[in-house]
Amino acid sequence: MNDPSSLPLTPKGNNNLQTNTNTAAKKLQAFQNSKFMKLLRPILGVVVSLYIVFRLYQVLVVHQEYGADTWTRLLISGLIIGGVYSLIAIGYTLVYGILFMINFAHGEVMMFGAYAGLYSFWAFKIIPIAGDPPTNFLNAYPILAIILAFLIGMTVSATMGFFLEKIAYRPLRKAPRLVPLISAIGASIFLQNAAMLLFSPQLRDVTNPDILRRGAGWTIVINGSNVILPYTGVFTFILSILLLVGLYILVRKSKLGRAMRATALDKKTAALMGVDVDSTISRTFIISGALAGAAGVMWGIHNGLVYYFVGFIPGIKAFTAAVLGGIGNLPGAMVGGLLLGIVESMGPAALGIDFQLKDVLSFLILIFVLTFRPSGLLGEVLSEEKV
Amino acid sequence: MKAMKFLAVFMVLAMLLTACGQAAATEAPVAATEAPVAATEAPVAGGAPEACADALGCAVFEAGDVIKIGMGAPMTGGNASYGIDISQGATIAMSDAGDIEGWTFALDAQDDGGTAEGGAAVANKFAADPAIVAVAGHIFSGATAAAMPIYEKVGIPMLSPSATNPPLTASGSTVFNRIAFTDLNQGNNAADFIYNTLGVKKMAVLHDGSDYGKGLADIVAAQFVKDGGEVVIEQAITPGESDYTAVLSTVAAKTPDAIYFGGYTAEGAVLVNQMKTTGLENAKFFGCDGTYGEDFLTRTGANGEGAYASIAPASPDSDAKLTFNAAYLEKFGKEAGSLSPYTWAGYDAAAALAATVKQVAVVADGKLYIPRAALVAAVRSLSNYVGLSGTFTCQSNGECNTDKPQFVVVKDGAWTNAE
Amino acid sequence: MKTLIRQSIRTGITYGIVQIFFILIAFNTMVGIMLAKISGIKNPGEIPAAKFLIAYTILMGLWVGISALSKKKFLPAGHKLLAGFTAGLVSAILVGLLELAMTGILVNKIFIRDFLTVLSFDFIKATLFGLTPVLGIVVTMGAIVLGSLLAVGLNIVTNLNAVQEHWKKDLSFLKNLNDKFQRMIRGKYHLIWQIVGISILAVAVIFIPMKWGSYWNYVFGTVGLYVILGLGLNIIVGLSGQLVLGYIAFFAIGAYTMALLNAPEPHNLMWGFWPALLLGVLLAALSGILLGLPIMRLRGDYLAIVTLGFGEIIRILLKSDVLTDFTGGPRGIQNIQGPMLFGKPFNSEVDFVYLIIAGVLLASFVYNRLQQSRTGRAWLAIREDETVARASGVDTIKYKLLALAIGAAFAGLAGGIYASRNQFTGPDEHALMASINVLSLIIVGGMGNIPGTILGAFTLKGLPEILREFANFRLLAFGALLVFMMLSRPEGLIPSHRPKYDEPNEVSGEMKKKEVPHDQ
Repeated sequence: MNDPSSLPLTPKGNNNLQTNTNTAAKKLQAFQNSKFMKLLRPILGVVVSLYIVFRLYQVLVVHQEYGADTWTRLLISGLIIGGVYSLIAIGYTLVYGILFMINFAHGEVMMFGAYAGLYSFWAFKIIPIAGDPPTNFLNAYPILAIILAFLIGMTVSATMGFFLEKIAYRPLRKAPRLVPLISAIGASIFLQNAAMLLFSPQLRDVTNPDILRRGAGWTIVINGSNVILPYTGVFTFILSILLLVGLYILVRKSKLGRAMRATALDKKTAALMGVDVDSTISRTFIISGALAGAAGVMWGIHNGLVYYFVGFIPGIKAFTAAVLGGIGNLPGAMVGGLLLGIVESMGPAALGIDFQLKDVLSFLILIFVLTFRPSGLLGEVLSEEKV
Repeated sequence: MKAMKFLAVFMVLAMLLTACGQAAATEAPVAATEAPVAATEAPVAGGAPEACADALGCAVFEAGDVIKIGMGAPMTGGNASYGIDISQGATIAMSDAGDIEGWTFALDAQDDGGTAEGGAAVANKFAADPAIVAVAGHIFSGATAAAMPIYEKVGIPMLSPSATNPPLTASGSTVFNRIAFTDLNQGNNAADFIYNTLGVKKMAVLHDGSDYGKGLADIVAAQFVKDGGEVVIEQAITPGESDYTAVLSTVAAKTPDAIYFGGYTAEGAVLVNQMKTTGLENAKFFGCDGTYGEDFLTRTGANGEGAYASIAPASPDSDAKLTFNAAYLEKFGKEAGSLSPYTWAGYDAAAALAATVKQVAVVADGKLYIPRAALVAAVRSLSNYVGLSGTFTCQSNGECNTDKPQFVVVKDGAWTNAE
Repeated sequence: MKTLIRQSIRTGITYGIVQIFFILIAFNTMVGIMLAKISGIKNPGEIPAAKFLIAYTILMGLWVGISALSKKKFLPAGHKLLAGFTAGLVSAILVGLLELAMTGILVNKIFIRDFLTVLSFDFIKATLFGLTPVLGIVVTMGAIVLGSLLAVGLNIVTNLNAVQEHWKKDLSFLKNLNDKFQRMIRGKYHLIWQIVGISILAVAVIFIPMKWGSYWNYVFGTVGLYVILGLGLNIIVGLSGQLVLGYIAFFAIGAYTMALLNAPEPHNLMWGFWPALLLGVLLAALSGILLGLPIMRLRGDYLAIVTLGFGEIIRILLKSDVLTDFTGGPRGIQNIQGPMLFGKPFNSEVDFVYLIIAGVLLASFVYNRLQQSRTGRAWLAIREDETVARASGVDTIKYKLLALAIGAAFAGLAGGIYASRNQFTGPDEHALMASINVLSLIIVGGMGNIPGTILGAFTLKGLPEILREFANFRLLAFGALLVFMMLSRPEGLIPSHRPKYDEPNEVSGEMKKKEVPHDQ
């Protein structure tokens, strides 16, 4: 019940309030188990499950449209994109866990990270390194170049996160919940247009170092067909997982992590216990910004495309992923991200529908999951009392 | 008491509503006649030429005024690159257009966001501005559709470089014309070319879900089947993303010989790059005029080798085009065509409008008169206008670019003629 | 003294960075062009004359100075001078450093526009006022310092601080006015006041649109449609407390019902405006209930994301290949027939403005009646605490669904008029940003009250039109203003006299006493 890994949303220690509302909660529970809801949910569940089984049967058994090679490709594609979604979703969840606000400008923070990565690689490409044949910094020291690019991207995004909180959110900490949301939306519009005016609306291609060439990869032969496991994809996926694990350890073990959890539970008590709430929140934004920056650089390396609008769609998707997993819950964000990635890539093929409708599918799954688990897959059941 | 209050308020409201209704009803004819009068703005003073006597009147310019050509384009939001690029191309056209006895041209590019709401707002703004004589636009079909009826009332001719939606020219508008390449012609010819010349029998058809991409893809698919080919799969992708490996994998499972894509370079280049990792190494990529351009080459590199596109016939490196490219790079710091494939069309639309304005303009008593009705007719009768992106002759419905397309292929990193 | 200097240096650095940002997005030439236009030059070209750029630089300096002196009303003049000068100098040095770097680019002919797109050689020359680099930098720095000193002078002479502080007061004046207004229409002579007010409004409403050009009528009409939308969303978010982010889906349903029933393509049904409008409203309300049923258990942000998803689902479906034959697909629907009233067709913006005003009046009326009814109180109870409301015998499901249905119906009404007015509707009209706009407008205006919604609609839809002069900088300015407005007026431009949707206590950890005025 008391999972220390998640940033708990519910002030469980807040006894007074809890006992007061307990009877009411029971009534609500009773209502939710009322005839109407009792009927509605199973019917919905049965209908949806039947449809899915029917479509799966048709696609997999009757038509056998796709072989194992195609499924493997789809799985690879889904895992990679899911990894990036997880990383961005963590940023939402971290901030939400502490401030209960949706940082709408998170996608834009990622976009600036992506630009930083793009420009770093370009700059490294310009620096000449003597040798035979003469080469450039990017290809002479690729690992160093990649590390530097990540550092630059994460620094830029972390700085942005820090100032975003300081300028647009901190003065609103005591305001009604929707106000910081609108402020975040304003910041998001501002940052998008700032990037467009600074860097031009052109779509840019990221120049990768040769060892991480896009399109190259390990080849696996399945069903006599070559399935390519791209280097960039594997790199992206492994790095996302490493960062997620690192963050998990940070939140669980470090002093800062403890401060973050305390702040999430109860700001006032945390402050009384000697936690510097303001600086903890600032640091949370720095961490979430750094993760978004890393996601941005990865996006550039794997997808190769950077422009001022690049943060918008992943931002919305990651937000969806965070809610799907249970917002405020770190493992939840990861599960949600991966699940969303896989649903997007395999779902349309498995159900035999247009790829255009993949977003419809992901949102339907979100609605479906939330109908049965109103606080997400791994979210705490109690949280609905809170929100 | 409460009921009384309710009743009273309701009565007043009801009265008000009927008053409104009547006002609107009596207002209607007045407003209808009012619109053209408003368009004339400057009263037809003594010395004004004969041509200004009709209902639409003339745009009148005092010495030192600037003749404005409007453009409604998405300058912000996800599609801003199109609007910014096309308006930049058109800006160069304005400085190239010279002057009419001292009156110079200027472009007034307004942000319409590409939507109907924005399109109508911009159109109303232009309609209220007496210095706007013509509109090079709008850029997106939705905005164009909402803007057309407004320009129709005040007699402002349109020449769109990029609104390709077929029904736009079917609604009998007198003001709307376009130099965008007609989808029907392009699609049918492309399908024939793929089936007959390239000998492809199994093809996958993809599009980006936009009115342009989908329209073209549907035409190609239909014609290809008519020719006897087989369309193995038809899929739409979500524009703006940069990972299409999932959809390409399912396409690969159908083993097509070629992929036709209706859409733009932004997604087309990603598709070409990712075809190589999803088991489509041997399939041909066939794009359209939306995927043609230098940008496609730089973004696909070696992967783009052997990719096809269909374009409006224009000599690819005419002197005028090279001059324009140099001017564009000098002024905006980007290669022409790197922001959108419509750079040259933007230039052409604005330049053609300026040339037409010059034909109909009349100078009298130190004032410049541009008869609006004559200008509308003149734009519609544009013929054999040689632009950078083709030669334009307007049909009676406003289609000005109905030539048979030319097919090009990437060979050694450059677009070359495929026939 | 030390603190003063430290503060001034910090201000100087902040505004120095802002100025560098402005130069890097070519904001200086844009303002220069505007200044040139104001001074009567008809065609200032792409790069304005140097004097306008110098004027811009002085203005920037003035801004730095004013900011450095804000909240320093009672300082002696000498200290003010010091603070203003320090801040001006610091930001001048930062801008000077940028111009030095730009000079380096110019002298060495480095092509940097791949990274920072505006830095063309012509632009750099213009930024240096066409002078030699050293002189240009000196003039820039001088102009900024001059501007800040000017601010100091102004501050000492006229006490500019007062103006700044008025920003807040002026708006609380709005609130007072609103309170007075509320008292007037609810007080002793309410009936008389209501009739007088409505008559004045009626006269204004009937005669003003005739005088405006079609452009302002169009803008005004758009604002009106967003007032209807805002009122509808206010019922859902402001009154019943459900955060809905996909509100525009209901608008889309209204618009598409109108379009499908009144356009030659794809179905050629031609039902006429009024039946289609009615059906659109009903369908929107029905879809509100259908959406509501499965998600009644969700609250707060979970509800937000689910409704956001619903909005996107509707948009994607409207656009998709599957429904192309039915909805026209990405092409949208064209040539939608306008309404007829008493045998007269609506064919100008003025007619639609009247129609929209009638819609706004109807919506305001319904909103006002609902707010003060038993239903409205049930919604408030749900908003304040759903569990307690449930425990006190409020049928929460029924009232939440009712809120969704009525709010959706408002959107359906606005959608129908919108489609008919533009004679076109397409799937991309109904994107997520439109939902966000509506949500923003009710929060910017002040949640839960009609005057706030109207003011919010003017801000959100009127302001971008007014900002048209800013060209590409339009949305940048808009985003910044949105943040600024929230920071300076977190309760909205006209705060409601009722308590807010969400209490801050759960965020700040403190319980806040609040009053619930009973006005019945």
